[in-house]
Amino acid sequence: MTISRPLLIAGLIALTLAAAIGSILFGPVHLSLARMIAAFTGHGDRIATTILLELRLPRMLLGLGVGAMLGLAGAALQGYLRNPLAEPSVLGTSNAASLGAVAALYFGLAALHPVVLPVLAVLGALLSLAGLSALAGRSESPLTLILAGIAIATLATAGVSLALNLSPNPFAAMEIMTWLLGSLENRSFEHVWIAYPCIAIGGLLLLWDGRALDALTLGEDGAQALGVDLRRTRIRLLLGTAIGVGGAVAVSGAIGFIGLIVPHLVRPLTDRSPSAILIPSAIGGAALLTFADVAVRLIDTRNELKLGVVTAFLGVPVFLIHLMRERRLW
Amino acid sequence: MASRIRIAALGLPLLALGGAISWASTDAPTPPSAGKPKRIVSINLCADQLVLALADREQIAGVTRNATDAEMSGESAKARGLPVLKNSAEQILAIDPDLIIGMPASRSAPMRALKGHSYNLLDLETANTVDEIYVSIRQTAAAVGHPERGDALVARMQAQLAGIGRSGGGKVAAYYQRRGFMTGTGTLIDDLMRRMGLVNLAAKLGKPPLSQLSIEEMVAARPDYLIVESATDKVADQGTEMLHHPALAGIPRISIPQAWTVCGSPAYVDAARGMARQLARFQDRTHAR
Repeated sequence: MTISRPLLIAGLIALTLAAAIGSILFGPVHLSLARMIAAFTGHGDRIATTILLELRLPRMLLGLGVGAMLGLAGAALQGYLRNPLAEPSVLGTSNAASLGAVAALYFGLAALHPVVLPVLAVLGALLSLAGLSALAGRSESPLTLILAGIAIATLATAGVSLALNLSPNPFAAMEIMTWLLGSLENRSFEHVWIAYPCIAIGGLLLLWDGRALDALTLGEDGAQALGVDLRRTRIRLLLGTAIGVGGAVAVSGAIGFIGLIVPHLVRPLTDRSPSAILIPSAIGGAALLTFADVAVRLIDTRNELKLGVVTAFLGVPVFLIHLMRERRLW
Repeated sequence: MASRIRIAALGLPLLALGGAISWASTDAPTPPSAGKPKRIVSINLCADQLVLALADREQIAGVTRNATDAEMSGESAKARGLPVLKNSAEQILAIDPDLIIGMPASRSAPMRALKGHSYNLLDLETANTVDEIYVSIRQTAAAVGHPERGDALVARMQAQLAGIGRSGGGKVAAYYQRRGFMTGTGTLIDDLMRRMGLVNLAAKLGKPPLSQLSIEEMVAARPDYLIVESATDKVADQGTEMLHHPALAGIPRISIPQAWTVCGSPAYVDAARGMARQLARFQDRTHAR
């Protein structure tokens, strides 16, 4: 079912645009189209302008950026580890980044300088990836990697809970939930400025190695024979994932499964080479997360649904299907 | 230490409100036995404040964990040095109190664990208006054996409240807590607002006593004032961060320590006074313009 690459990318961009427009159109307050247009052309009333430019616009931008980063990281990790279940949240990277962000926020370190929050989130992600390669780096079985990921994710989750319990915060339970399920509620442009530089750097590092990822489908020896510097590729991939996912998680919390679902959705539409799915996964991730964030607002619950709940409902079936396929390797 | 306390106190009104809704009890208080009780135990933060205000220090055998926290309790200074209970049935057994005051005492977790034992209990109702505060004060004063102190305290509060003007002028105010929780009607906050001559936004929108309002809805509702807990003046976590969203920057803020409003206590007067003072300041500014 391969379709031509320009067509695929154009289609995905169209979807993303639709999601972005939906994100601007829908919210708890109903605004008429005329009021919105007036607000965007600078003639709007104060309420509509504030809602659109200070609330919905940063939220949309974060949905796109975080989604793109998670989709891209999923595609790159699946290619590099040659494992269809690899993904930042499954491998514990997102939770570890949450732990870093929680430590920065709840022990007052983030107040020292705005850069502390993303730096600690990136450090958390980096540590988890280092731990992952130490635990499962040499193993051939995808199961080892997943188990190591579960161990790291559980440890990081426990760390988030512990950090919040230790911090003098009586609302620990509520805060833990936001960090582990993720949310784009109540974000402002400040958060955009935290996340986007990290996402840009992380994204560039991950896109760099498309050819190396293709070569790696022949195995490490084959890739080396083709002239791939495995050590540098590994460093770029780990750094790119840590910086990008760390920056994204620092503002959104750990949103799961986007990086798992999107590459699997776009892969059948491409020639299935790891490099070919990188950019489509990024665009698809942006669209999917932004759609999920619109769904969170449209599904009428008493309290706003957490983003991670929606993505988990979407992602777990995909995860299970692929886990079943791997059964012969257990 | 100061910042620790501030963070620890963050959203007690929220919890207290939840309690206000679920504890609509009508149990009559048990009359105390003859003579003044000598080992009074309070098992509720709000009961602490009344006991501390009305009983002799020697009479008090135990207060709750947060009683000494200045951010949570209006009577924290008096609680210092008194035995602190950790909400455990064991400690109550060891003290063997002759009066247990709670809100209500009979349905609290430690009392349920001590079902087989009989204690002299005073079940206070959650006070949601100033008149209910007066009732609680009189009940507590009678139970601790000093009814005259209760009458004196009520008279003093009434006199002080009479001196505070209604400076709200029919403006709309919203009591906005962390994570966008808004306090509605039938609460002590609502009672304070009406005393000030303010209209509670929650009443205007027909919201329940505790509802969640997104920043977007708050911007659209455009209240004249936001009333916030002074503990949320500084960003401490995601929950307080949202109260500092730039979209809310244009709405004048009144900041009140939650120690004054979380419980129906004599500190109601301080809350009313603080609110009136800040309202007056805003009005001076608009007149000057």
